[in-house]
Amino acid sequence: MMLVGIFSLVATYIGDDHFHTRFWSNVLHNSVFFTGVALMALFLLAAKITAWSGWHTIFKRVWEAYSLFLVVGLVLIMIIALGIWGGWHHLYHWADIKSVESDVILTGKSSFLNKNWYTFGSLLFVGLWVFFAIRIRQLSVDEDINGDSNFTHARKMRVLGAAALPVIGFTSAALIWQWVMSVDAHWYSTLFAWYASASMMVTMIALTIITLIMLKVRGYFPLVNIEHLHDLGKYMFAFSIFWTYLWFSQYMLIWYANIPEETIYFNTRLHQYPVLFYLNIGLNFVLPFLVLLRNDTKRKYGTLLFISCVLVFSHWLDFFLMLKPGIIHTAHELAAAAGEAGHHTAGATPGFTLPGFLEIGTFIGFLGLFFFVVFNRLEKASLVPSRDPYLMESVSHHT
Amino acid sequence: MGAAPTSPIREPLVQGHKTYHQITEDLCSPTERAPGKAWTLAFIVALMAATWGIVSIIITIWVGIGTWRLNRTIGWGWDITNFVWWIGIGHAGTLISAILLLFRQKWRTGVNRAAEAMTIFAVICAALFPAIHVGRIWVVFFFFPYPNTRGPVWPNFNSPLLWDVFAISTYFTVSLLFWYTGLVPDFATVRDRAKGFRKKMYTFLSFGWTGSAKHWQRHESLSLVLAGLATPLVLSVHTIVSFDFATSVIPGWHTTIFPPYFVAGAIFSGFAMVQTLMVITRKVLNLQNYITIGHIESMNKVILVTGTIVGVAYLTELFIAWYSGYVYEQFAFFNRALGPYWWSYFGMMTCNVLSPQLFWSKKIRRNVTMTFFMSIFVNIGMWFERFVIIATTLARDYLPSSWSFYVPSIVEIGIYVGTIGIFFVFYLVFVRVAPVVAIAEIKHILKSSGDQYVITNGQTTLHQIEQGGTALQVAGHGDSHGNAHH
Repeated sequence: MMLVGIFSLVATYIGDDHFHTRFWSNVLHNSVFFTGVALMALFLLAAKITAWSGWHTIFKRVWEAYSLFLVVGLVLIMIIALGIWGGWHHLYHWADIKSVESDVILTGKSSFLNKNWYTFGSLLFVGLWVFFAIRIRQLSVDEDINGDSNFTHARKMRVLGAAALPVIGFTSAALIWQWVMSVDAHWYSTLFAWYASASMMVTMIALTIITLIMLKVRGYFPLVNIEHLHDLGKYMFAFSIFWTYLWFSQYMLIWYANIPEETIYFNTRLHQYPVLFYLNIGLNFVLPFLVLLRNDTKRKYGTLLFISCVLVFSHWLDFFLMLKPGIIHTAHELAAAAGEAGHHTAGATPGFTLPGFLEIGTFIGFLGLFFFVVFNRLEKASLVPSRDPYLMESVSHHT
Repeated sequence: MGAAPTSPIREPLVQGHKTYHQITEDLCSPTERAPGKAWTLAFIVALMAATWGIVSIIITIWVGIGTWRLNRTIGWGWDITNFVWWIGIGHAGTLISAILLLFRQKWRTGVNRAAEAMTIFAVICAALFPAIHVGRIWVVFFFFPYPNTRGPVWPNFNSPLLWDVFAISTYFTVSLLFWYTGLVPDFATVRDRAKGFRKKMYTFLSFGWTGSAKHWQRHESLSLVLAGLATPLVLSVHTIVSFDFATSVIPGWHTTIFPPYFVAGAIFSGFAMVQTLMVITRKVLNLQNYITIGHIESMNKVILVTGTIVGVAYLTELFIAWYSGYVYEQFAFFNRALGPYWWSYFGMMTCNVLSPQLFWSKKIRRNVTMTFFMSIFVNIGMWFERFVIIATTLARDYLPSSWSFYVPSIVEIGIYVGTIGIFFVFYLVFVRVAPVVAIAEIKHILKSSGDQYVITNGQTTLHQIEQGGTALQVAGHGDSHGNAHH
């Protein structure tokens, strides 16, 4: 899978315009997407620890492994940050000094949207997440060997988990604004960070279902049964509804107030990306809603696997739709400024209007990288946290 | 054994080694005794407050809403502030019943009944405000869309104010049904112990419940359906209340984070009100074994979480206001923090975001007195939040020439105090008539969470499970009634 990815990236790079916009936007898209998945795994794990949750214990090592992908995520984001310093790419309108000087709004934002904040903010915040992920993992693995009957490890994890929640709550918003929202440097929406997080969360849960079923088929996790998957299915259903709720809140309020500075965002997407726009709602809301509403569909491996695969891909499309229109707009403006006619013409741009084979190849590559890291981490410890105080509850879990 | 194993790390939820009979005795007896002094005194005070409120409402209707000192710029003052405040409080009950039921949180059983009752009374108080704030209450039926001969006078379906009518009435209906469904078996328990007029009354209220397997089965499936219906309703009500503001183009009101942030705030204030009531109720009615410190701690955690979510939302608003580069938006927030009503913004931040952070300390979370004061703080803070959003924002219009200031009149204050009175009158009657803690539900969790059944920390050795093996060995010992396994 990673080979497909590397091949796709190289092919994209070679066939790209001279800013390599397509290449870099694909790197950004997938880096943010999978880092987000890892972050959501950490977040849900911390939330579960804090809430004294028991049922997930039997497969919590999967979420721990997911959260450790943050280390790779940090590297990926740093590559993009270095790209801003080195002028390798032009993903962000605000990174172009000439544009900022001639633009009052961008000048106003420049104390937040600048390469220092982007680099060191990301380094600090993702670094914090990495710290929490590693510490929780260490405690969890250590509990297998040194766990005692006072549940010292569980107690320590609760402290960490509780501390991680507000840290992630505040910092994730700041980074999502920088990484994602700022590709449309003029536009803003207070809900955006939560909306993007909901998208990542659905993906994370869908990936968990895929991972568990994949491993179960191969004979691992014999104690994970349909009851656990049923509950994960409920989570997937609930977060899909939550995503829709946020999508609707953002769209409806902007549509209703009809302020041009805000509607421009949806105007572009609705009129220039109609396929993706409607696909986004259809695949991320209508399909999971209709399929997962029934009780029995959440108790069938086949249906769950199918819906999970669709949701991972369609939330990836959601991020595509968040990022690409802003990036191509920036690229067009720069090209126009550089006196390159022709680029600005309307019509489809490969890799932007719709994801092409190279985008999908890159996605597969990153997915491969993600699973490589996750399975590598899973191998390093027992799959069953044998001294976790909640283990018995989890084993005999029934919905 | 039939009961699912409960982790030895968990605290018991029913204390005092209760038997099923003792539970019935403890929970029914408050409805069977004559009221105590504390109850009588509280009832008189509540009734007086309610009377002040009703008189104020009559004055408002008689004279007009001019008696509130609203002005052309500030068209909404305490009225809508109170409305949103009460609606927010009215969220916790159904949230506890429906959402915590879905998350299988057993601690909900101790508090769900009272919280649901509170929801219903709070929604009644809330619904008063849209009715009286229109000024001409005799035409309030214009709210409702039905075929009529009024020509062009027809509710505007594009208006979130109309959506409010639908959302709140639906929410009220489902909450009421949900609450009552839970009450039926408990009313039957009271009925079976009662004599004379009380027997007749509870016979009527319990709808001929016999406790047969068929009854229980129907009861359970109805509860599940209602929980499913109530969950989206809990979210929809405050979402639509937030639309009242966010669909406008007023800086400070039009912001996309409003729907989820209002819902989080509603849960926050609802739980605070539940705490206020529970802390008093458990003391007065001697229910410390059912509403334990563990319950209080859990609710305090919810308060900490939702308070922090609200904090994230406040800072997001503040930051994006600056980030937007839109001068009116920037001014709206400058005005909130440093304008004429700066104290309400300050009060909001202190009570809602800073003070709940005290709950990071386990000691404070488990301290009943602190919990009581904190819950009052949060109630105040959430009232300020709505005041900040409504009055502070309206006071500074686009044109400085229409800037204004507003201080409520005695009539408007009276209506607010009056609704608190009405709320407590209802609540106090409720604790006399119905079991405040759901008898049937407590009995349901007794075997898994009663203290005589839960192995407490340290008494057990570790559970060990070999990976890949299905033979589970429990190396436990002692009185492991609920935990024997094979």
